[in-house]
Amino acid sequence: MTEAGSTRAPWRLYLLCALAWVIPGGGHFALGRRGRAAVFLAVIACAIGVGVHLDGNLYRVVPGQPLTILATLGAMGMGAPYFALRYLLGFAGDAEAAGYEYGTVFLLSAGLMNLLLVLDTWDIGSGRKE
Amino acid sequence: MGHLAAMTLYAALLSVFFATLWRRERGAQIKLFAQIFGALLLGAVAFGWLMYFFPSGPPAPIP
Repeated sequence: MTEAGSTRAPWRLYLLCALAWVIPGGGHFALGRRGRAAVFLAVIACAIGVGVHLDGNLYRVVPGQPLTILATLGAMGMGAPYFALRYLLGFAGDAEAAGYEYGTVFLLSAGLMNLLLVLDTWDIGSGRKE
Repeated sequence: MGHLAAMTLYAALLSVFFATLWRRERGAQIKLFAQIFGALLLGAVAFGWLMYFFPSGPPAPIP
């Protein structure tokens, strides 16, 4: 065992990735990258906040529009905030709002950025990346 | 929030994110941040100017 991460139990790696998905930056925090985790959390929280402020579309699957499946998966990438916004706060966006398109991009980007963090957590946890 | 402000904020967020994700040293992070931020902002402005050569056509018919 020459790589540090190769000794890590797979279930712990899956748990780290789940944590990274649920809480933006959570995976990096658990791996000891506290500073980077704080930056990631701040960036994604800011993107979500601006997206909500602009009344962007929080994607959900629309029957007959298959591309919304991909968009919904992308937006769900933000983890817990997606479900909190959708089910706890009932947020859906406002198509007539002036910043609707911009807000949609902010919300979708927040989800996609967090998915990249999950992949990065996997790489760090498995020892592929320092 | 205006178009330019939203675009600038978006570019800044993405630049910070990828600079932090892809670089470890502070100097390299700042350099990558500047590159991504500049490319996004200046690219968007340049692309916007190019749009002048492609004026919008007649309005789409209402279905």
